[in-house]
Amino acid sequence: MRIVLAEDNPLLRDGISLLLTEHGIAVVAAVDNGEDLITATRAHQPNLALVDVRLPPTHTNEGFRAALAIRKDHPDIALMVFSQWIETTYATQLIKPGASKIGYLLKDRIVSSAAFIEALHRVNNGGTALDPEVVQQLLHPPSPDRGLQRLTPRERSVLALLAEGRSNQAISDHQHLALRSVEKVIASVFTKLDLPPDPTEHRRVLAVVKYLQGDNS
Amino acid sequence: MTTVGLILREPVARRTRQEYLYLVAGLVPAIPAFALALIAVVATALSLFAVGIPLLLLVLSAARFVPTWFLLPARATQGWTWPRIEAMPRQPPLRRAGSVLLDASRWKALAYASMKFPLSLIGAYLGTFSIVAGTLAATYPIWWFVDPDGFGYLDDNTWTRSWLLAAQGAALLLALPWFLRLVVAVDRTLINSLLRPSADHQRVATLETSRATLTADAASTLRRLERDLHDGTQARLVNLGMMLDRIEEHTEDPGQRHAINSAKGAVTDTLAELREIIRGVYPPALDHDLRTALSTLAGRSPIPATLTGDLHHVYGDATKAVLYFATNELLANVARHTDASRIAVELAETATQIVLTVADTGAGGATTDKPSSTGLSGLRRRVEALDGRLDIDSPTGGPTTITLTLPRT
Repeated sequence: MRIVLAEDNPLLRDGISLLLTEHGIAVVAAVDNGEDLITATRAHQPNLALVDVRLPPTHTNEGFRAALAIRKDHPDIALMVFSQWIETTYATQLIKPGASKIGYLLKDRIVSSAAFIEALHRVNNGGTALDPEVVQQLLHPPSPDRGLQRLTPRERSVLALLAEGRSNQAISDHQHLALRSVEKVIASVFTKLDLPPDPTEHRRVLAVVKYLQGDNS
Repeated sequence: MTTVGLILREPVARRTRQEYLYLVAGLVPAIPAFALALIAVVATALSLFAVGIPLLLLVLSAARFVPTWFLLPARATQGWTWPRIEAMPRQPPLRRAGSVLLDASRWKALAYASMKFPLSLIGAYLGTFSIVAGTLAATYPIWWFVDPDGFGYLDDNTWTRSWLLAAQGAALLLALPWFLRLVVAVDRTLINSLLRPSADHQRVATLETSRATLTADAASTLRRLERDLHDGTQARLVNLGMMLDRIEEHTEDPGQRHAINSAKGAVTDTLAELREIIRGVYPPALDHDLRTALSTLAGRSPIPATLTGDLHHVYGDATKAVLYFATNELLANVARHTDASRIAVELAETATQIVLTVADTGAGGATTDKPSSTGLSGLRRRVEALDGRLDIDSPTGGPTTITLTLPRT
């Protein structure tokens, strides 16, 4: 995998580059602002752009806006946006219905490098990777009479993992449940949420996200 | 300098010249201002009938400029200054008319004009008379010597009597500076009480300025602190975590791996804690815009919250921070104290105000009077520090609507 990295803090930029290189990911360009990110992406045509939300010169959401611009011009380049904070508005703008190859993680997740690298690969392969905090912000029960209120705690936690972009196998490992039980729980979630189940993984996530967005607007 | 020297020198001192000039030049603005004051008296009497009120409004509108007219001679000759009367803030025409009619500073300006004209007239007339007559009389012996017959029409047409006259003239000239000084002192007293804001007024203005500076300073200090934590501490912690992670990967011993893994866990916990602390200090999304920050608050609220509306102008850090922390506090209050099932947050702008409304479907009874309601009363203080208001409408049984109003500055 070839990626372009945008991170303004030199310490983190070098650290992340090193981490990625050690895991066999080629960092073809490492830049420190949004404008350079767009230029580098155009020049290198990487598989994925790893982008810090807050970049100079404004230090507000420069990186986020650059990421949206890249998505518009190069829809085939996977995007992994990361930040010290998760903002609901950014999450809903990134995860448009029908979106794929997208991730939004807290920077803390880099510390667990195995999971972080796995998330990069998942996004590169057309999947999604949403931070548990993103999911939590999007998943709050929109109204008491909707389906989410009727979910059992186990169904809720499985739905949360699902929304993060995990596979059934990953959920099964995480929750210490048999694969078949996971499938049953998911089927039950979809029934309660009145959503038809779908065979492919990321479309399931998008169905969940679409539902969440619909209730947040 | 001796007293005698002072008395002798004073008639030709610069100060005396400036005071005389001030009184004479002061007549120029005093004439139209006095006329305005006279019309005001007539208009006030007429305002018993409807016709007087528009006339009075017109006079008072012009009266706004009266202090400015007097400013020119005062500044040029005495170095005095006083504030202009500010224009009325934008408001509906009827309210504006009311504010103009009740504006004490305009009435005081007219009162000053009514007294300033007679005062200037007396000062300028007697001053001029003293200079002319005093000089002539003081030099009388010379005139008499040059042409004794030319002054024959005067009774005191003798050499000795001419010296008496000269003494009188000199006395007049010597007294002139003190007379001018008295008139100017009276004028000054009038200016202090009628054209200058009162001591209380000035103190309020000073306090308002210093309070605004303090709140702005506090907000920018917090913002800088947030930047430092983001660029420094947080980045270092993430880096530390990555270093631990690499060590973990290169370690075979399961016991050591476990210990390193716990250390990594401690780093991520610290990052999460730091994030919460920063959220309480100055949420970084405020740098981008308020709505982004508020949507995240709504998203994090344990009770479903919707956010509508937006602000279309740019506001200071202090204003944004108060709106943010108010929303945070109010959402948390709903979750803590009520059984509400939904919350509606609305942000709106009028010509003069920013209005934030937080409404919930709970059982009501919110108040700042109970000792337990420190959150709401603390919030009220923060809002009042920006000249805003917090209104609570929370009947028993609900629903509750809390409205926060801030001036647009």
